[in-house]
Amino acid sequence: MKNQILIWTIVACIGTLLISNPARAQLIPPAKKAAHVEISQGPEIESAKANEVIIRWTSNNPGGSDEHFGVVHYGKSATDLSQTAKSHIRLNQGHVETVFRVRVEGLEAHKTYYYKVDSQQADGTSDGVTSPVNKFATP
Amino acid sequence: MRQTRRLVALLILSAGIAAAVLLFAMPAGAQEATDPAPPVYNPYPPGILPANVNSELARVLREIAVIENEAIGQWHALPPPMLTGQPPTLQGSGYSAVRILGKLMNFDRNMSPLKNIACASCHMPYAGFSGPIPSVNLTMVAYPGSFRFRAGKRTAQRYTYSPDFPVLNYNTEQGAFFGGNFWDARSTGYLLQSADAEQAQHPPVDTQEMAMPDTACIAFRLSTAVYKPLFEEIWGVDSLNISFPSNTEQICDTPGGAATFGGNTTPVGLSPVDRERANTVYDHWGQSISFYEASPDVSAFSSKFDAFLANKYTFTAAEMAGYKLFRGKANCNSCHLDGRSTAPTPPPPEGSAPGGEDTGAAASTAPLFTCFGYANLGLPKNPRDAFYYQTTPDSLGFTANAGGFTYTDLGLGTFLRSGFGSAPNPNSAWKPFAETSDGRMQTSTARDVALTPPQCPTTEAPGPYFQKEFFHNGYIKSLKQLVHFYNTRDVYRMPVESGDCPSGTVERVTCWPAAEVPQNQDMTIGKLDLTEAEENQLVAFLETLSDGFTRPYPDINTYTGACMSGGTAATQGNSTLISASKMAPH
Repeated sequence: MKNQILIWTIVACIGTLLISNPARAQLIPPAKKAAHVEISQGPEIESAKANEVIIRWTSNNPGGSDEHFGVVHYGKSATDLSQTAKSHIRLNQGHVETVFRVRVEGLEAHKTYYYKVDSQQADGTSDGVTSPVNKFATP
Repeated sequence: MRQTRRLVALLILSAGIAAAVLLFAMPAGAQEATDPAPPVYNPYPPGILPANVNSELARVLREIAVIENEAIGQWHALPPPMLTGQPPTLQGSGYSAVRILGKLMNFDRNMSPLKNIACASCHMPYAGFSGPIPSVNLTMVAYPGSFRFRAGKRTAQRYTYSPDFPVLNYNTEQGAFFGGNFWDARSTGYLLQSADAEQAQHPPVDTQEMAMPDTACIAFRLSTAVYKPLFEEIWGVDSLNISFPSNTEQICDTPGGAATFGGNTTPVGLSPVDRERANTVYDHWGQSISFYEASPDVSAFSSKFDAFLANKYTFTAAEMAGYKLFRGKANCNSCHLDGRSTAPTPPPPEGSAPGGEDTGAAASTAPLFTCFGYANLGLPKNPRDAFYYQTTPDSLGFTANAGGFTYTDLGLGTFLRSGFGSAPNPNSAWKPFAETSDGRMQTSTARDVALTPPQCPTTEAPGPYFQKEFFHNGYIKSLKQLVHFYNTRDVYRMPVESGDCPSGTVERVTCWPAAEVPQNQDMTIGKLDLTEAEENQLVAFLETLSDGFTRPYPDINTYTGACMSGGTAATQGNSTLISASKMAPH
């Protein structure tokens, strides 16, 4: 055992003299923004509790800042979507599609809500998503 | 008569052997021969401190002594210094000299007031330079400091690749913070232009860690270190020429936070010139340790994954499946960048890459598996964390956390506000970002997350395994649980505290207690729709990121503790769960 430790130590010492670390990764710049951001799946209710729902949809990768937000505009009438919920996600620059998930909190139980979705760059700029107005009911 | 002579000869021989054994076993002057008996502070309910905490702390100290002695040998093996050129440079030996000096400092137990812990006490090589005591990892989360049993609040982050984190900055293009060291970014690196070098300056004067009362105490202890000549060789012959007052020893033997200091953080009475000199020594302390951490001794790039990139290793089917999931369905590399995503195929209609598959070209030969950013993963509060229980003053009059269980760890947000438990934020322009940063913690590199001692070759039950702890509060106890959390956080989330999951559910399997910080939760994760088999494949891939495959990882063989075995990775550590509502003072 001691011999083994000694050999490993010698090998390691010689190794560190010879080895220099390779060039290392750097911060990556934002990806190019997509010309149009279109929803390919959803939006739909992923889960619903009395006071909270998670709304989920998939769009093409909007690009731009990796820090991104899914946004849900909602209200109790289809013509009044004045409330907003935002959830943070991080884009994967290598992915063609992006899944957005937004937690909508502070809801009333046994109520029907109407909503549409969008996504935003880190600075709050809209990705210009065209979304239908859907509805859900809290349990 | 002849018999007596033989007996005497035998006795002399035995004494000689015993002396030789003792000499061999004793540290070569750098380490204290005996442990001082520190006063004990134990505000903890039964079960918070692990039963074997004392023997385990002693075990780690023995291991540290072995490595310190090895470093002394490496120092003595250096060629004679040749300081030459303009600016003067240690030609040939400079790199080795600073690396070895950093190692000597890192494993020096004298750098704490009671001379009973070194930096390495919470960062040993066989754990990827994270926490070396399985029972502590299983229970109290933070490690006991020099003044036992004060403890911090978070898990010990790995040293590996920490020097690669840039100086903390807010990137306006990306709308996010990048760089810094520590879970909450409080080591920005703004003065030394190295977040990692500054990181090494925090624990020595952290009241619950190494607990020096004054940064000048490091210069004071270095001025009596056996390796003082090496320090002077590198940083200048007069670098430690400081006139310390006669009471310095007494001051530096007293843990920081003691009421006797009255909140004074510079109790060592130095002249302005000597204070400046001591400050410079402290900078060199941080820089030397950082150089060691950046070297292949610590950040080795010697994993199976590195061999795979160099076409010298073929992944097993499970590892390859895990790698594809890491970059695809599981989306791990949105934050734990694998160096392959900086040249993506454009989104439709310009591009034509198949859905969900990463087609980015390899952009780095040494990806670091982090984006250097910060995220709130929504981890539950961990009532095991020793910090919650330090609500009463210790014998020196210091109280770590008067608020007890009401303390909420807001991570980066607290730092930006210069809040309790963090450090002063040196850039007031960042303060407006505090609210959107609450709950965010550093995205660690995934490298070496699975690194363990060779005799306990995995982090996963049934083992034999080495118990680690994951994320900032150690709530997660295995990589299986880690992946399962990302996969199902929002599927099994329940409005309960840890320890109070409803009957019919199993905590960490089919019940995730409420998030400690609900706001700003990252929704990239939480429902990944991975199968059980896919979770296991991801664990297999994470295990390929451990250094030590292409060449031995230095000092990995120094673990002398026991392995654990039995149980399952999914429920690993569940027998030590405690009910927050019943145990914690409110």
